[in-house]
Amino acid sequence: MTMPALTLPGKTPNAARPRRLHRPLDERLLYGACVLVPVVALVLFFLLPLGTIVWRSVLEEEGGVGLANYLALFRTPGILRAVGNSLLVGGATTVVCLLLGFMVAYAVQRTRIPGKRFVAAALSLPLLAPSLVLGLGLIFLLGRNGLVSNLIGTRLNIYGFPGLLIANVLYALPQAVLIIQAALRQSDARYYDAAEVMGATRWQQFLGITLPNVKFGLLSAGFVVFTVTITDFGNAVTIGGDFSVLATEIYNQVTGQMRFGIGAAVGILLLLPTGIAVYIERVAAQRQFGTASESALAPVPDYVPMRDIPLFLATMTLALSIVAVVATVVFASFVRLWPYRLDLTLKHYSITLSGGYDPLWTSLAVSAGAAAIGTALLFALVLGLRRMPPGVAKAVYLLAVLPVGVPGLVLGLSYIFAFNLAGTPLHMLYGTVLLLALCNFYHYHTQGFLTMVTGMRAVPPALEEAASCLGGGVLRVLGDVVVPVMVPTLLSVFFFLFMRSMVTLSAIIFLVTPSTNLAAVTVMRLDEAGFVSQAAAFSTCIMAAVAAAALAMRGALSLATRRKVA
Amino acid sequence: MVEFAGKSLLAGVVLMGVAVLPAVAQAGTLTVYTALEEDEIADYVAAAKKDLPDIDLKVLRLSTGDLGARMLAEASNPQHDVIWGWAVTNMLDPRVMALVEPYAAKGSDALPAAYKGADASWFAATGYMAAFCVNTELLKAKNLPVPTSWKDLTNPVYKGEVVMPNPVSSGTGYLQIAAILQSQGNEKGWQFLKTLDGNIAQYIKSGSKPCKSARSGEFAIGASLAFAAIKSVEEGFPLKMVIPTDGAGYELEASALMKTSKNKEDAKRFLDWTLSPKAAALYTKYKEIVTIPGAPVAKAAEEAGLPADVQKVLYPMDFAKSAAERDAILKTWQGSIGR
Repeated sequence: MTMPALTLPGKTPNAARPRRLHRPLDERLLYGACVLVPVVALVLFFLLPLGTIVWRSVLEEEGGVGLANYLALFRTPGILRAVGNSLLVGGATTVVCLLLGFMVAYAVQRTRIPGKRFVAAALSLPLLAPSLVLGLGLIFLLGRNGLVSNLIGTRLNIYGFPGLLIANVLYALPQAVLIIQAALRQSDARYYDAAEVMGATRWQQFLGITLPNVKFGLLSAGFVVFTVTITDFGNAVTIGGDFSVLATEIYNQVTGQMRFGIGAAVGILLLLPTGIAVYIERVAAQRQFGTASESALAPVPDYVPMRDIPLFLATMTLALSIVAVVATVVFASFVRLWPYRLDLTLKHYSITLSGGYDPLWTSLAVSAGAAAIGTALLFALVLGLRRMPPGVAKAVYLLAVLPVGVPGLVLGLSYIFAFNLAGTPLHMLYGTVLLLALCNFYHYHTQGFLTMVTGMRAVPPALEEAASCLGGGVLRVLGDVVVPVMVPTLLSVFFFLFMRSMVTLSAIIFLVTPSTNLAAVTVMRLDEAGFVSQAAAFSTCIMAAVAAAALAMRGALSLATRRKVA
Repeated sequence: MVEFAGKSLLAGVVLMGVAVLPAVAQAGTLTVYTALEEDEIADYVAAAKKDLPDIDLKVLRLSTGDLGARMLAEASNPQHDVIWGWAVTNMLDPRVMALVEPYAAKGSDALPAAYKGADASWFAATGYMAAFCVNTELLKAKNLPVPTSWKDLTNPVYKGEVVMPNPVSSGTGYLQIAAILQSQGNEKGWQFLKTLDGNIAQYIKSGSKPCKSARSGEFAIGASLAFAAIKSVEEGFPLKMVIPTDGAGYELEASALMKTSKNKEDAKRFLDWTLSPKAAALYTKYKEIVTIPGAPVAKAAEEAGLPADVQKVLYPMDFAKSAAERDAILKTWQGSIGR
């Protein structure tokens, strides 16, 4: 670490390390349960299904067991190019998302630029927009017959690498911001004050204090972006043109040719990059300095024109571009026949096919359930993990970050393999909305977990110890010390899970039944039936409903906390 | 916050508890998996419920590929009683054939032999065909003629303006190249596909998307399905449907009874209904191809400019052959043409 000697009395990084104290039995039991329940759930609803995919990948077509599927995969024409393309687009997306993601998170957390709320809202749009909206929006704007092409008079060709890169950045950026923001949320102003006194320039402070402290957040965000990019094939199918990537081989095999063996093998290979997580976990185990101190003073962002004006312009441009993509589709949903007859109409909103508007309510309930269960389980897990021996913590950590490596289609199929077994107790869940909610949660488990871990690093362990030594019960410690620091992170994880659960599609199409209609499925069905404008209209309703629900929940929450304080 | 989380958790658990209550399978409940199109399903189901009021008909609609993956994944414990209107090329897969039980539905004896399995394991009441979606506004702007055949598409003037489905990921894409290979013979057929490749801007990964690309003006010509073209013309897009004169591939929508059905009585009544004169009359509202003898010419097809006797433009596909050769053809395609 290239930190200059900025030691404050009693504030060496090591002093913050929790001392092992004798804990009462009930406390140990509680923290044990905190870890045990989420881990059992992870094993049942993630590891077990994943096991069925491993099994399928080694099950040969003639019935034997072996590596034939993997060999067949490497004999598939063009597969090496697809691997190369995956790495290329994954790497490019990661670089772009880390740069932009850090910029946005920094602007929102550490500067005094105006319009932060707008930026935050714009950044959550790609999370709550069905993928159809993003795909259509990009084509409406940047396609060969898009607004920009018509404006400049040449037919732009975004299909292929450029389109795929833009679409992936749009999809992954909010997830990067989610994690980086959690890392930037807490800091200790005294370090910056000390550096100031010692004559360090702002730039030196940034390199010496800010960056090292978000290293873990940046690594985690980069890991998530890279993994979601290489496992996603939705964007590749919509806008990737002939640019083939490894994940589309799953689509070719499973959806195109009804074959699971090679598709399962690709699914397993796509888990390899999650091995990077081993390194990130080592970083996670290192204490960070400058935060997590019981007497930390939150830095008050000051106004620095040289920094804030360019940052404001760049952040606004980015936010407006995202809004433009979504707004174009919302606008098109009110237009008679995009892009030929632009008179306004509400006719696309009269939707009777595919269950009409009813699925919207089912989806809201399922998503609220997924978000509540998910946030509670993740909070418990991360809370308990801090008290576990390093070996156990490491194993649990690796298990918890694995889900991001599993493409939605593979996860959905794995749920069929694991839960559609007559005569087993788990079969009871098959076809229920509870299983849909769980599937949605585990689909996005990693993002929620890493955000929670990043946020938890800001909880001062010493204060926790003190509260506990002073005879505060565990719940008291939680309520007085941990939760107040964690509220913003808990909320962002809750809303992240809620939003994704409303619109994610790739896994649940294998789990919906004739009686469980979900909003995301309705969008897909309208689109497949050729009613693209109606699909856009329905998507608009989903986005409006999610935004309304989010506002209502935030309102209720602030009312509740205000009453508590008073 | 704790309070809030606690409350919403409680609400979540209660909600889930209600949802977990097992869906009790009453007698008279029939679960049907289908790949027919959304609006026609709504129409057919309404009519079927009128004719079979005691059956609680539950229908799950997924695209052909997704449905196939789902059915095969569920094969150890199938959740449905009937497969209704699903691509016969997929139905003929031995793993699917192992799941179905022969049943000669009432009315299937009148179907020509090409439209049913020899052992009565499946029958097809309807079908769909390949078609070009041609954006007339774009062609006019570029001053290009409307193509009428696959051969026309190889004309260099269309270079970069033609999109077609990728046969590796799309059943529609496969039926298009299978029809070309079967009608021209292997050697000439592959030669033709390579020439055509020079004009193709993109192999899109789904069967209906090329038509959507053409109608939104992204590309001038999309090789796709007649259904998608008819729908787009109805919606008012500046689009013309062209059935290629040199062999339009087509696909049959096959139905079958599941061996594992717990309600075979009702399943059979429903399958009988799909061949009834009443159903046939409804099909003509939506379908280019109705196999039931005596069914009137489809209105939709007529309006979209299909010939009165579509049989004339359909290449007589050998479905058993195209199902059996699928792996080999796709491998060759990926090796010589695929991008």
